[in-house]
Amino acid sequence: MLSAIDLHHTYAPGATPVLRGVNVAIAQGDFACIMGRSGSGKSTLLYALSTLLRPTSGQVLYQGRDVFGLSERQRNALRGSDLAMIFQMHHLLPALSALENVLTPFLARLRPVGAKAVARGMECLSRVGLADKARRLPGNLSGGEQQRVAIARALACSPKALFADEPTGSLDSGTGDKIMDLLLELNAEGLTVVMVTHQPDYAALANRVITIADGRVAQAS
Amino acid sequence: MNLATIPLRNLRRKLPRTLLSAAVFSLGIASVVALAHLSKVVGDSLERKMTAFGANVLVTPRTQSLSVGYGGLSLGDVSFDMRYLPVAETVAAVRAIPMKDTISVVAPKFALLTRVGGVPVGVVGVDFPSERGIKRYWQPRGDFPAGDDGVLAGSAAAAALSLDLGDAVTIEGRTFRVAGVLAPTGSEDDRVIFADIAAVQRLAGKENMAHFVEVAALCAGCPIDEITAQIQAALPEASITAMQHVVKQRMAAISFVKHLALSVSLVIMLTACAMIGLSVFSSVNERKNEIGVLRAVGFSKAGVFSLFCLEAVLTGMVAAVVGYVGGVLAAGIVPDILETGATSAMAFDLGEFLLTFAAVTALSAAAAAPPSLAAARLDPAAALVTL
Ligand SMILES: Nc1ncnc2c1ncn2[C@@H]1O[C@H](COP(=O)(O)OP(=O)(O)OP(=O)(O)O)[C@@H](O)[C@H]1O
Ligand SMILES: [Mg+2]
Repeated sequence: MLSAIDLHHTYAPGATPVLRGVNVAIAQGDFACIMGRSGSGKSTLLYALSTLLRPTSGQVLYQGRDVFGLSERQRNALRGSDLAMIFQMHHLLPALSALENVLTPFLARLRPVGAKAVARGMECLSRVGLADKARRLPGNLSGGEQQRVAIARALACSPKALFADEPTGSLDSGTGDKIMDLLLELNAEGLTVVMVTHQPDYAALANRVITIADGRVAQAS
Repeated sequence: MNLATIPLRNLRRKLPRTLLSAAVFSLGIASVVALAHLSKVVGDSLERKMTAFGANVLVTPRTQSLSVGYGGLSLGDVSFDMRYLPVAETVAAVRAIPMKDTISVVAPKFALLTRVGGVPVGVVGVDFPSERGIKRYWQPRGDFPAGDDGVLAGSAAAAALSLDLGDAVTIEGRTFRVAGVLAPTGSEDDRVIFADIAAVQRLAGKENMAHFVEVAALCAGCPIDEITAQIQAALPEASITAMQHVVKQRMAAISFVKHLALSVSLVIMLTACAMIGLSVFSSVNERKNEIGVLRAVGFSKAGVFSLFCLEAVLTGMVAAVVGYVGGVLAAGIVPDILETGATSAMAFDLGEFLLTFAAVTALSAAAAAPPSLAAARLDPAAALVTL
């Protein structure tokens, strides 16, 4: 479903390369964990896979298509439909309510959000257990709740794959466990999940583990 | 929920900042609106005031001779050939031209060369009320003549004839009384005696006749040539001359006022634009990760650009409404405070309002464009990195 072929990435000309020939293949329905030391390039790889970062060289194939060969417009559309992201920091828009945050992907089409989309937004909030807090501003939600709103936002456009960059990184272990449970449930329902994590016990729950070291895949299962 | 929801919510979230920048922007717009109106009002009143210091169009009969003398009229050798203008018809014709609203004063003159007590002197028949309209600087000792038997003596003429207030003076056999003596003006007015035009016409046996007619036209905004052409068309028999130096001088004074207002407005608007630009720039910097997230959920660069631009444009729209209304109100109050004497209740003008609204909207979009472009160009991956 998603594969990276010989990815190289250098942030600035002359800087040390972060990725030096990464090859990974992720199948539909996988729960893949990316591991590695801090600064090893996990986030860089994840952003490249999610089309948000154009690698210096190499290809990312999504359903057989080279995503960086697509037009920018098509890539934007892909992010608004098939591919979704969550982050270590929830990155919610602080001025919008939980529900409005969940609806932002629909706004990306620059058209007013219809009743159908609003219903879908509520459905996603219910899925993460926050239907009763739809009108709250992010500032009035706990860290775990904020991350769940971010997941609901990621689900809004019914993506095929979810990319998560240390989604439990800034949460306490109990709250983190609940997020992990939610991601596992979503994966069980058919969502492909690619997650960067530092926690081996989460990685143990994944069906794939990719370890990055020195800009290359050191170990893959 | 639509695209404006995000900027609106952001504006609401930072309400004090939004209100402050809207207030400052409104103040700028109000100043420009008021200034534009004031410069017009002050220009007009300035022009009206300057009209009191002389006419700017001269209507004379068509004669062949180039003459030197009072008001371009030779009182000497060519006076035999002098043809005349019929007063009532000429005044009526000038007052009826298409641009008649610009005609402020029409002052006919009849000049008579005569001797008083053996001394040669010019007697100029004028319509005193009209004459005072273009010679506001006349400051007579005594009064302006009320009836047709009073005269107003120029300072030099009074000295030469030893005339003082209340003295009787015999002109062509008729006795007049000196009602007033002019203070020296430094002009030809000093050397003549002014009397009622009808009385002078009767003495000369030329009733309803004038040697020339001076016209004061208000034309800072209009071409004087247009007015003279219209008078010429109304009076084909007469010769119409614009006194270009007078016209140019007035235009210069009035356009100075207008240019001053324009440059101040420009500075105000540039400052306002810089303020908007900076405010958008700082919110772009504050919200880098929001930009990254918006890109991650599928927003295009154009989408991000419009979100930031909209924020400034919405503020601008509010400021345009408040600023225009404020400007209209200010324009009504300020002239009284400045005691310009200009009556200038500025009315709410829909066309003007729409123009202001459109201009302000465009301006805020233009001011917000560079920082919004920076937001659109931000690398989403870099914007999302949390180290
Ligand atoms: N926008 C950027 N510009 C320049 N260098 C960057 C940028 N983002 C990351 N880097 C560098 O690239 C290297 C890899 O970064 P990356 O964020 O991919 O690591 P990571 O494995 O996700 O680390 P962590 O576990 O700390 O999140 C680091 O040395 C980092 O300093
Ligand atoms: Mg990282």
